[in-house]
Amino acid sequence: MVDKIKIENLSCYYNKKCVLEFLNLNVVKNEILGVIGPANSGKTTFLRTLNRMNDFDATYSKKGSVYLDDDDILDIDVETLRRRVGMLFAMPIPLPMSIYDNITYAPKRLGFVTKKIDLDNMVESVLRNVSLWDEVKDRLCVSAVKMSGGQQQRLCIARVLAINPEVILFDEPCSGLDPISTAKIEELMIGLKEKYTIVLVTNNVKQASRVSDRTAFFLMGKLIEVDKTGKLFVSPKKKETEDYITGRFG
Amino acid sequence: MIKLNPKLSQKFSYTLLCFATILAITPVILMVFIIIKNGASAISWEFLSSMPKDGMSVGGILPALLGTLLIVLCAIMVTLPVGVCAAIYLNEYAKNNMLTRIIKLAIVNLAGVPSVVYGLFGLGIFVMFLKLGVSIIAGALTLSIMELPVIITTARSSLDSVPYSFREASLSLGVSRWQTIRHVVLPNAIPGILTGTILSIARISGETAPILFTAAAFYVPHLPHSIFDQVMALPYHLYIISTQIPNMPKNIIYGTALVLLMMVLTMSCIAIFARIYFRKRRKW
Amino acid sequence: MKKVLNLIAEKIIFICGIVSIIFVVLIFSFLLKEGFSFFKHFGVLKFIGGHFWYPSSDSASFGVLPLIVGSVFVTIGACTIAVPIGVMTALFISEIVPKYIRDILKSLVELMAAIPSVVVGFIGMTTLVPLVKSIFNLPTGLTAFSGSIMLAFMAIPTIVTISEDAIRSVPYQYKQGALALGATKWQTLRRIILKAAMPGIIAAIMLGIGRVMGETMAVMMITGNAAHIPHSIFEPVRTMTATIAAEMGETVKGDMHYKSLFAIGLVLFLITFFINFIADLFLGKNKNT
Repeated sequence: MVDKIKIENLSCYYNKKCVLEFLNLNVVKNEILGVIGPANSGKTTFLRTLNRMNDFDATYSKKGSVYLDDDDILDIDVETLRRRVGMLFAMPIPLPMSIYDNITYAPKRLGFVTKKIDLDNMVESVLRNVSLWDEVKDRLCVSAVKMSGGQQQRLCIARVLAINPEVILFDEPCSGLDPISTAKIEELMIGLKEKYTIVLVTNNVKQASRVSDRTAFFLMGKLIEVDKTGKLFVSPKKKETEDYITGRFG
Repeated sequence: MIKLNPKLSQKFSYTLLCFATILAITPVILMVFIIIKNGASAISWEFLSSMPKDGMSVGGILPALLGTLLIVLCAIMVTLPVGVCAAIYLNEYAKNNMLTRIIKLAIVNLAGVPSVVYGLFGLGIFVMFLKLGVSIIAGALTLSIMELPVIITTARSSLDSVPYSFREASLSLGVSRWQTIRHVVLPNAIPGILTGTILSIARISGETAPILFTAAAFYVPHLPHSIFDQVMALPYHLYIISTQIPNMPKNIIYGTALVLLMMVLTMSCIAIFARIYFRKRRKW
Repeated sequence: MKKVLNLIAEKIIFICGIVSIIFVVLIFSFLLKEGFSFFKHFGVLKFIGGHFWYPSSDSASFGVLPLIVGSVFVTIGACTIAVPIGVMTALFISEIVPKYIRDILKSLVELMAAIPSVVVGFIGMTTLVPLVKSIFNLPTGLTAFSGSIMLAFMAIPTIVTISEDAIRSVPYQYKQGALALGATKWQTLRRIILKAAMPGIIAAIMLGIGRVMGETMAVMMITGNAAHIPHSIFEPVRTMTATIAAEMGETVKGDMHYKSLFAIGLVLFLITFFINFIADLFLGKNKNT
């Protein structure tokens, strides 16, 4: 049990308004940590703090620290941090270029794969990892925007895999998808935890119970409870957690 | 007052609106028609490629045509890179604070300042202060300052039209800010910037007031040797021959107007078609 | 290597940003400086309120009032024509005609905006001016009236384009709501859409006014250029812009006359900047609703 990410006394603010309060939480290596909670509970802010995607928002500020492998994320070069901590968004965002270019885009820019043959191999292997290869191998040059939503989201996962991250953050990755695509992505996540550490933010309580090893429950910017998924769902310690997972509010 | 039947009043109003539209559009068509009708006979290769003779009442418009092309070319070479870079800076880098907002507002408003005021500015700064004299370069710089706010504004709106999520997706992959701009934002903003630029070129080729005191000459018997020469310019030439010189042959004036008009309208048409084409091809 | 290139690119962009900002400041401060050096010798009130513009006589008088009145006459005239036609055209284009006709009409309007003002002036001189002279039986057709008509054509594209944007950005739920209540299309258009788009339309009108105020060549060629306070719209007038354009060539660099033209430039700059600023406020308001 090695902690991949450690969060100490983290508080986040937008325009001085506190959206996340005094958070202490670890993410264990090679686990899937589910984060559940109603809207506006600070889940997404939490996630975007981990790879500093909130840096561009001038109204955002934070206190406390986040450590990735014992390094404060503020000490890591922000581009390196984002390469090590990949992210998936709620809506699939394929870049307006071909499927092939979508995957090779970041490795090329970052300069760690340059030879054509290496690029080809990499594209095939990441597409196989997300079981998209057989579906798209004949149309790698087609614009990624023309794919279905589920395929797009899997392409986005493949795109993240291509930069070889250590942690992958999923921000409600299935919110716009149909049940079949959702099932495929969930299956994928379980497969991915062998190699990667995953944080999954989701609105869907059932999804967290299906996929995650541990689950954290956020409410109004506070961490109410975090425990093994089985335990949290069967015998939650706090009343708020029980109310939420049984669907009494939220 | 009589209360009209709503159906009837709708019909009446629509007719009125249609009439207004016709009233707005016809003068342009009429204008173009008159110029073509009277000017077409003057147009020939010789008219475009020879020097004016006999107090400009005979011969062609080559020096004016060339002068305008040179001035516009120089102007756009200055204003396009500076304007696009400034737009990138304002849109992608500048912090969204009070100062930035004031600057953005000032730039938008500068686009509405009369062209003759830019002429004054060019006269004071480029001709007098920097001692460039009345020359192609002074006129071009004046036009480029005038067009800068327009280029910045169109470039900014093209940059804005690229969804913010593309930037986020790229940044989240560890790609740097500049590379994100260079490889994701700019390629998708280029069509808009391009059409805006062509429209700008069309606009400044027809401008007279800013070059009146900074570049244009009444008559120059030879073609320009360098960018520090005074030149004749097509719009100014039209102004001169239609108001200052009595007894100009009518077809030469109309011919000059026709050349100027066609130059400007062709470029505008290209820009409009390019925009339609790019919109259809847009990938998102 | 890549990092260095990144850095250079970012620096260039930063510099360009700064340069364009410097120019904004420079233009304003330059006009201020030239204007003030004029006002030091010739009082502001005497300048703004003076009835006589005799810049080159021995006892030179720089009363800019006739020129301001000239500009205002022409602007009001042009707007009386351009505003109703422009707004009605915008309504017609955005709400009534099918899409393909709308695209054609919009392109035509855009082409209209591209016609150089010197061409407009020339056409006005050869067609409209003689017409005005003979219809109204005037000593000359070079009047504020002729100028207003030609300038109206130059303001119409601005008014149409921006109003059309405003009208089309009215949420279509407004329209559907009204239609669902049994209003006719025209009632919806007039009572709901026009009202919701009003801030944008006002902005369009302001920008149209700015365009007319700043127009130079066409005005210079058509309005007759007589620097006196006109009694009616059928008299020749001279606008501020035309004065600058026509007289700058005759001045000796650095003398009072030269400086007075910069002072006029400053007045023009302030007026148009103010008009655009107001328009911007309205446009901002329109975006939020």
